[in-house]
Amino acid sequence: MTEEHQHTLALEVRDLTRAFGVRKALDGVSLELPVGAFLSIFGPNGAGKTTLVKVLTTLLNPSSGSARVLGRDVVSDAVDLRTHIGLISHNPLLYPDLTAEENLLFFADMYGVEQPHVRVSELLEAVELDHRKLDLTRTFSRGMLQRLSIARALLHRPEVIFLDEPYSGLDPHAMDILDGLIAQIRDSHTFVMISHDLDKGLELCSHALILAKGRVVLYEPREAIDDAAFRQTYRSTVGMGVS
Amino acid sequence: MASASGRQLRAMLRKDIVMELRTKEMIMSMGLYSLLTMVVYFVALSQAGSNFDPRDIAAGLLWLAFIFTSMLGLNRSLVHEKDQGCLEALLLSPVDRPVIFFAKAGGNLIFLLAVEALTLPVFGFLFLQGTHLDWGSIALLPLILIVGSIGMAGVGTLLATMSVNTSGKDFVLAMLFIPLMYPLLLGAVTATGGAIVGGAQGVSVFWTGMGWVVGYDVIMLLASYGLYEFIVGA
Repeated sequence: MTEEHQHTLALEVRDLTRAFGVRKALDGVSLELPVGAFLSIFGPNGAGKTTLVKVLTTLLNPSSGSARVLGRDVVSDAVDLRTHIGLISHNPLLYPDLTAEENLLFFADMYGVEQPHVRVSELLEAVELDHRKLDLTRTFSRGMLQRLSIARALLHRPEVIFLDEPYSGLDPHAMDILDGLIAQIRDSHTFVMISHDLDKGLELCSHALILAKGRVVLYEPREAIDDAAFRQTYRSTVGMGVS
Repeated sequence: MASASGRQLRAMLRKDIVMELRTKEMIMSMGLYSLLTMVVYFVALSQAGSNFDPRDIAAGLLWLAFIFTSMLGLNRSLVHEKDQGCLEALLLSPVDRPVIFFAKAGGNLIFLLAVEALTLPVFGFLFLQGTHLDWGSIALLPLILIVGSIGMAGVGTLLATMSVNTSGKDFVLAMLFIPLMYPLLLGAVTATGGAIVGGAQGVSVFWTGMGWVVGYDVIMLLASYGLYEFIVGA
């Protein structure tokens, strides 16, 4: 693979396997995703979607095979890679006994964000939580927590943003804010999103992946996807059970 | 890189202290448990008779209380991180895993020392009133408390990280922590006993015990440092 080709790839996954004991959560997954793409990952529960994202975000080591994000190996270049990626999960990943501002300032310190107070104010305003910045996050609603979680994930201006069912439990207003934020940065970032919502996932994506039992069932660019056939393939995986 | 690690370590320590000052969960539960243990000791030993010299067992009583008290706090410190996936957020940030270990162990050490500072005067009041004390050697007590607590906080943080994802985390932590504390307990009780008894022989015993505890700290902290990345990634 040429150096030029590597720089155009956000994800390079080669024969990736992750086992928990004898159970393979990922079994020989291979894919490439260009920089600037939006990948939607679909699959039934237990298909290996979250495990794939955890490996790509350096939270889990692969059992075999390799994965590179922006040309960086998820194992050997993990610390460097973490400065280039962000994760918005269905879990808010925030400390309930810190205020909204303290949470963001803490993570700004962890990432070495320059002018942290300015950046934090900017993001609190973007997610419409500046009026609640001094409140403990344990007093926040689910939607507010998710909005703050989006601000946390964008603090260090990551180039690749992983979204693990980000719309789960959001009210329509919070969904609009998330849509707006994604739209604002869509062109300059690469997105990898796990979703159970076929309509939403297909609406946003440039590439779609269906996983089942830890294996790739389908991986195609959006323009090559026939929606009806895609839905039929997805439905056929739902009964396949866990890996 | 070193300055980044220092900044991250300070941020984590500050965060733990702010959260603890706000909730007082660890300090309250550890402090209350430690004080109640002193009261239970006092009641249990009140019928020991006039020939009983509490200095003979004072060191053991103290360290038993500290060991059990520390287990309460160690579990709480990691539970905070598990709440709402905070540990995951921490692991996603560009921080070397040993920095997380030192920050968590540092926080646990501060809270443990605060509880010990609260317990020690109560212990002295209940058990050592009217006994002859060599104040020169008693002044060595803070030293062994600090050095012993470093080992407890370090090993405890490692084991709490291992056990936090298990279903019976309290049980798992106790099963791992108490056997691993045995060498430290032996050295710390020896040194503390030497400091309480006092005199030239007591001071000599103190330094022997201190040697054990310092050796334990160095070995266990190096092992914890080396193992932490593997444990949080498992």
